[in-house]
Amino acid sequence: MPKRQLSLGGFFSTPGNHLAGWRHPNAVPTADMDFRMYAHITRVVEAAKFDTIFFQDTAAVNGSRALARGDLTRTRLSRIVKLEPTTLLCALAAVTSHIGLIATATTTYNEPYNIARRFASIDHISGGRAGWNLVTSQIEDEAQNFGYEEHVDHARRYERAAEFYDVVVGLWDSWEQDALLRDKASGIYMDRDKVHFLNHVGKHFRVRGPLNVARSPQGRPIVAQAGSSEAGRELAAKTADVIFTAQTQLPDAQAFYADVKGRAARYGRSPDDIRIMPGITPVLGRTEAEARERYEELQALLPDDLAVQSMSHISGGLDLTKFPLDGPLPELPPSNAAKARQALVVRTAREQNMTLRQIARHTAAAMGHRVLVGTAEYMADELETWLRADAADGFNVICNYYPGPLEDFCRLVVPELQRRGVFRREYTGRTLREHLGLPVPENRYTAQRR
Amino acid sequence: MILTPAAKPDRKLRFGAFMNVPSCHPTGWRHPDAVAETDLSFPLLAELARLSEYGKLDAMFFQDSAAVPGSAGLYGGKPFNPRSGRQAHIEPLSAIAGLAAITSYIGLISTCTTSYNEPYNVARRFLTIDHISGGRVGWNLVTSQAEDEAMNFGRDAHLDHALRYERAAEFHDVVVGLWDSWEDDAFLRDKASGVWFDHRKMHMIHHRGKHFSVRGPLNVARSPQGRPVIAQAGSSDVGMELAARTADMVFTAQTTIADGKAFCAEMRDRAARYGRAPEHLRIFPGLMPIVGRTASEAREKYEELRELVDDEVGLRGVARLCGGLDIYQYPPDGPLPPLPPSNAARARQQMIVEMGRRGMTIREIGRVLGMSQAHRVAYGTPAQLADDMQEWLEADACDGFNLLFAHYPKPVEEFVTLVVPELQRRGIFRTEYEGTTLRANLGVPVPANSFAPAPAHA
Repeated sequence: MPKRQLSLGGFFSTPGNHLAGWRHPNAVPTADMDFRMYAHITRVVEAAKFDTIFFQDTAAVNGSRALARGDLTRTRLSRIVKLEPTTLLCALAAVTSHIGLIATATTTYNEPYNIARRFASIDHISGGRAGWNLVTSQIEDEAQNFGYEEHVDHARRYERAAEFYDVVVGLWDSWEQDALLRDKASGIYMDRDKVHFLNHVGKHFRVRGPLNVARSPQGRPIVAQAGSSEAGRELAAKTADVIFTAQTQLPDAQAFYADVKGRAARYGRSPDDIRIMPGITPVLGRTEAEARERYEELQALLPDDLAVQSMSHISGGLDLTKFPLDGPLPELPPSNAAKARQALVVRTAREQNMTLRQIARHTAAAMGHRVLVGTAEYMADELETWLRADAADGFNVICNYYPGPLEDFCRLVVPELQRRGVFRREYTGRTLREHLGLPVPENRYTAQRR
Repeated sequence: MILTPAAKPDRKLRFGAFMNVPSCHPTGWRHPDAVAETDLSFPLLAELARLSEYGKLDAMFFQDSAAVPGSAGLYGGKPFNPRSGRQAHIEPLSAIAGLAAITSYIGLISTCTTSYNEPYNVARRFLTIDHISGGRVGWNLVTSQAEDEAMNFGRDAHLDHALRYERAAEFHDVVVGLWDSWEDDAFLRDKASGVWFDHRKMHMIHHRGKHFSVRGPLNVARSPQGRPVIAQAGSSDVGMELAARTADMVFTAQTTIADGKAFCAEMRDRAARYGRAPEHLRIFPGLMPIVGRTASEAREKYEELRELVDDEVGLRGVARLCGGLDIYQYPPDGPLPPLPPSNAARARQQMIVEMGRRGMTIREIGRVLGMSQAHRVAYGTPAQLADDMQEWLEADACDGFNLLFAHYPKPVEEFVTLVVPELQRRGIFRTEYEGTTLRANLGVPVPANSFAPAPAHA
């Protein structure tokens, strides 16, 4: 039996995921706005046969509210501006041929018709490589850019997200495969019997349809999700093709993996219908000592106060800067934002008996994701172990800065994975669905016709 | 060589290439040369971009509507308009983002409605494409006028004309304000000091208006061309007023030199009242050029395209401009009845009323819409077409034309290989792009950042 295969995603957290990564001598700090750099790193992972790239998104400058109050901490942090990811994907689609293209778009401050159109369009432009990471907005900074004082509460956000998903997927079925006739002789462009109104009437949306984009090359774009809370897992189990998650410990990752795949089964889905991809941040060295040195080199660029500040989105509103750095992490009030992320940080701090300074620096280093410090062999071991232990189907590779660490990963770790027979040497398909080994969903109206 | 002493050296034509794929002629997709797959094929759009750039045209322009046209089946018609080519297409903002990556000079303009979007999202997307393209993007700001769209966004009918425009004006102000969130040199990215940006060069708009509350700042740095170009197509009174205040380009539909001249004079007058220089507003009437190597070949091509006009599609075009009156209740070969005022496209309704006044029947009016969407059609040899356009230019009836192609890609190819060289010989069209931004090629100024202190004068 052939070995299970890893999926690899390039999670582009430009200009660097590490809060001080942009200050590294080899970092290209303009990687946030420069399209040529995005095109470069996309080609790098395409040459390494990655399944996909992925862009996270926030519809605000992170820390806007703090900046409005006159808190200038943010002026020392990167990831302030960037190219809007769904737009960027279109441009990257035009200069690549195989790599999957996934971006976040929030269900909180968009209209489903617009989102359905956009991802279907990216799917057409790319010839079947688009994916939508469905999220609910959890950053308070966004609300005030959309006429709200505060963001919508967690439960209502998820309720809206679930309905939003149903509308989008329904709109993606508007056109059956052969609905566009373009028959010059008869003069009939479209077969009106194969174009369908959705006529959705729900609590949050009323959408008639049909979508004005024909059925997409993948049948429908891939849907990814990253919510790890109870509501998030439930929605993901029901609807997601890919799940991005932050897991730092093997037993936790196994529990998450089993939980989500178990939930999926209750919705009549096969465990193989979902690809679970935790994030990893590689810090590579030719020896372990060299890798450690590189990690410390980065950490040295990060002032303590920025590290503490980086926990503000999970602090439940508590101002952590008022607590002693060498004392314990204080009790955090419940967060309306990133619930699962807060729980992970609190547990890590308690289990490892960390001071506020330590947990802050630890968190800042990876923004909650697993940091792998070591050689290419060590990394391949770790990835393979998690794959075999049913803790992951693949990994999202997040880099501390760009483009060096990503180039190194592709040059050193990917060949090692290929040598071990757990990662492809060549693409065998052209669509993201094919890379991920996921079936093409049948159009609901075509199915009824049978 | 034709001597054209009247052409002043600074009076040059400019062109928008209207990419209403698969055909601007609603049933032009049936032409034997037409490639109808241009509606959903990015490689074919890329080919059209290369042709347009080869021809040194100013911009490609993509119209948009967030619905399948005619899907609602209103105004007495059945749902859908199956004979028209305009059904499903790549969302234009996505299309121009893709085209930005593979072109270098051509401007990329897309319609985006102010009725069913949030200004923060629209500001981000256009500015992102501006960065990807190095400063070549334009936003055609419209209000949604089709019920087809309303029903995709939780509404039974579109907004009332006045309210739509009120929202559009505020939407514009928010977007342009957001585009000024960062001064040009706000990002220091200074590795040594660890300072990423200069907070004095970041600006929050803190907008609180009737339709929107938006704090800002935008999470995209300032545009390579200062600000994306704003285009508009409204020709109603309120539409013209908004354009006079805010637009760099105006798309319009006059069919005679006299009307074009009057429209240009009026627009420039209105713009002057906002303290704007007249040449900072570029006016582009629509024109469907049909090129032949000889006059008779052009005439034949014209007749061929007229043959393809579909009465049913034409009547649908009339029906949606009738202000709720069911035109199907009237004999098609009879006169156009008096129409109640339209809440949709006011200026377009005025256009068909004029045709009715000139004695055209409902069917004849439909055939004009069914050929060129009521835009002017000109057929002839390259020299004849150049004469025609030159006459408009010299009469101050336009700054250029928005070119409607009966289908794609052949008419585009013919225009850029046959007509463009003729215009260049006459010195009324560029032989090289003036710059790498849309503003530079249009010759419209780069606006100062509205938040930045005025530069000190020596």
